[in-house]
Amino acid sequence: MSRSYQTLVRIALFAGLAAAWELFPRAGIVDAMLLPPLSDVLATLIKLLGQPNVHEALAVTAAEVIVAFLIAVPIGALIGVMAAENEYFGEIIRPLLFYVFSIPKSIFLPLFILALGIGFPQKVAYAAFSTVFIVIMSASAAVESVKAEHTLVARSYGATRSQIVTWVYVPSMLPILLETLRIAMIFNFTGVMIAEMYASRTGIGHLIANWGENFMMPQLFAGVVLLASMSILFNEAIRTLEARCSTWRT
Amino acid sequence: MTRPSPRSVRWLIGIAQLVLWEAVPRLGLLPELFIPPLTKVLGVLWYDHAIYWDAFLVTLYEVAIAMMIACGAGILTGAVVGSIATLRDLLLPVFSSLYAVPIVILYSVFTAWFGIGSESKIVFAGVYGFFPVMLSTAAGIRTIDEQYMLVARAVGATIGQRITRVIIPASIATVLAGLRLGGALTIIGVVVAEMLVSAAGIGYLVTKYRTTLDSPRVFAAIIVILLFAVAFDQLARMIERRVLGWRSAGRAERGTTVSATDTALPAPAPV
Amino acid sequence: MQHVANLTVAREQVASPAIEVRSLSHVYQGRDGAVPALAGIDLSVGHGRFTVIVGPSGCGKTSLLLMIAGLRRQAAGEIFCEGRPMTVPDPARIGVVFQEASLFPWLTAIDNVEFPLALKHMPREDRRARADEMLKLVGLEGFGGRYPHELSGGMKQRVSIARGLVQDPPVLLMDEPFAALDEQTRMTMGHELLKIWSETSKTVVFITHSLTEAVYLADEVLVMSARPGRIIDRVAIELPRPRTYEMMATDVFGRLRERIWHQIRVTT
Repeated sequence: MSRSYQTLVRIALFAGLAAAWELFPRAGIVDAMLLPPLSDVLATLIKLLGQPNVHEALAVTAAEVIVAFLIAVPIGALIGVMAAENEYFGEIIRPLLFYVFSIPKSIFLPLFILALGIGFPQKVAYAAFSTVFIVIMSASAAVESVKAEHTLVARSYGATRSQIVTWVYVPSMLPILLETLRIAMIFNFTGVMIAEMYASRTGIGHLIANWGENFMMPQLFAGVVLLASMSILFNEAIRTLEARCSTWRT
Repeated sequence: MTRPSPRSVRWLIGIAQLVLWEAVPRLGLLPELFIPPLTKVLGVLWYDHAIYWDAFLVTLYEVAIAMMIACGAGILTGAVVGSIATLRDLLLPVFSSLYAVPIVILYSVFTAWFGIGSESKIVFAGVYGFFPVMLSTAAGIRTIDEQYMLVARAVGATIGQRITRVIIPASIATVLAGLRLGGALTIIGVVVAEMLVSAAGIGYLVTKYRTTLDSPRVFAAIIVILLFAVAFDQLARMIERRVLGWRSAGRAERGTTVSATDTALPAPAPV
Repeated sequence: MQHVANLTVAREQVASPAIEVRSLSHVYQGRDGAVPALAGIDLSVGHGRFTVIVGPSGCGKTSLLLMIAGLRRQAAGEIFCEGRPMTVPDPARIGVVFQEASLFPWLTAIDNVEFPLALKHMPREDRRARADEMLKLVGLEGFGGRYPHELSGGMKQRVSIARGLVQDPPVLLMDEPFAALDEQTRMTMGHELLKIWSETSKTVVFITHSLTEAVYLADEVLVMSARPGRIIDRVAIELPRPRTYEMMATDVFGRLRERIWHQIRVTT
């Protein structure tokens, strides 16, 4: 199947699902109270996007996402690179990380609340916490993936450590770095959402949980559609960027 | 002086953590609200063990059902999608795009649909665990060396024999790893769902005690969840090791049992 | 009566060659339409002969072999093995050894060799005895309990050969079995293969890229052209057997190689 044919089929599938979402509730096949027709949901979404409380919520969420990201990524990258560069440190850290990975981070959310109360710092701290570990792992893997041969060649030409980092590590790691950022953002956003849905008075996650509790279905679905689209768009944007940077790879 | 082995350093870190857990709050360095002393937590767990046990059983029940759904549907779908090239090329990119969406937000939908009882948690956790199982089964089937199938045909294997004696053994490594991850996600899914909106279960206990600022009991509940998650992970890895004994046959055991499939999986869960 | 029956059988055997291919051609669907892969192949391999097929990359030698083995359907033409048409794999009649040893990594060496017999539900002891015999034949006695990842490339191929021979098929097809091995191992394996062949008097059809290997091993070398592949030369190798490494340095050897090389160069 050629690429364009594939895209066509996907669009068709998407259209089919959208049509079902519209028709089934309207035709009564599905309870319209539980699943409002797509057009209602979209209309509500447009209305919501004009409301100031929604703007505020989105702003709060965006702020949390960005701040948490800016905290988690540098810290994680630093530790990850250290683990890859210093064998001793790496040997100690690596198995610990694997154990940490089999532990769900979300169960620690209440601890953050006990410590920091409910509010901006708590959500940011939790999100950063749930993101930092994947950054450590990816950064570590990224550094290790730099072909040993390239480094050897550079060293044989007398390159200093910082030169090696700039001219060998960074270019060959760029696609991996982008990938790390992309996945880190996924973890980050999920962390923020969980925190907002669990215990928060602000943010879009809180609004969604609220709408759900109050059976405000059109708003709830509007929120879900909004968040889903935003995450997917961001994700795909980074993906295309990654693809552009990886053209030199086999 | 030679450096201590990484293993001993890790042990030291572990022990230090336990010691600090006990000492720091008792010495007043950090408020007990934030971190109650270890002994208090364990005491509460022991004292109230009936409550925790009952809650754990509720959670266990939900996890079991959700896991059956996630793994069953995951393997079936994964096998089908993985073997049919057209489906694979069409659907897999869609799924990896969906991975970017935090599934938690769907939980509100499920509670609206199914109420706050076990059903909503089972559905939610089922969906959560479904994806890694499906993706890794599809990947496992896909990466079966075509040569194996050629050899199987050359020696006259029937279709049934090809499935049982070639496809299953060849893909089982990835499938098992996927089941491990899917199972872990199912546990998380149930627990998070219980924490968010629930009337029973361990997650519910966590939230209940948190709202009353009963830190020791919150910690105790978290410990129960941790033990559950770790126990499952160890069990899954043990099964993997047994089934995949041929992989490390003849090789010396390394320090930690990091299975070769850890890196071959789709990215781990953001929860 | 028995004498006459034997004669009849012998005559039948002599009458129908081990492998016969008539007017075989094949096309496959490329991106822009049908691509001819093989064009009008006629060949005939006598019993107990060691035939080698050489040709440039992509000329369709592997496809041809797969078709002879019944693993792929040709577009036109017929294939016979001992007088019977080959349309599906027949492991009792044709054993195949692939380029990549393709041993199942989850089975030990001996389990791999036993695999074809296990499919036929042969009883355990008989299977094991037969597999042991084969491992001994290929010089791997005692290595049966090892897993493929514990074996070297050469050893893996030997197991693969043992597996191909385990059902005692009269014909053995080999698709560049030594291609993934280093030169020294290749030479040793080639030598071993000739030893096994002389002990078991199978009919062998062997594909290779290496002209040296071809001349060293073969009774007859079939040279294929570039795509669409057809047989452009049949070179009889009249060197005495058993073959020795010293023969490789002789003039005769060199000329045979040169002839084959010339043919291939001309077509590409």
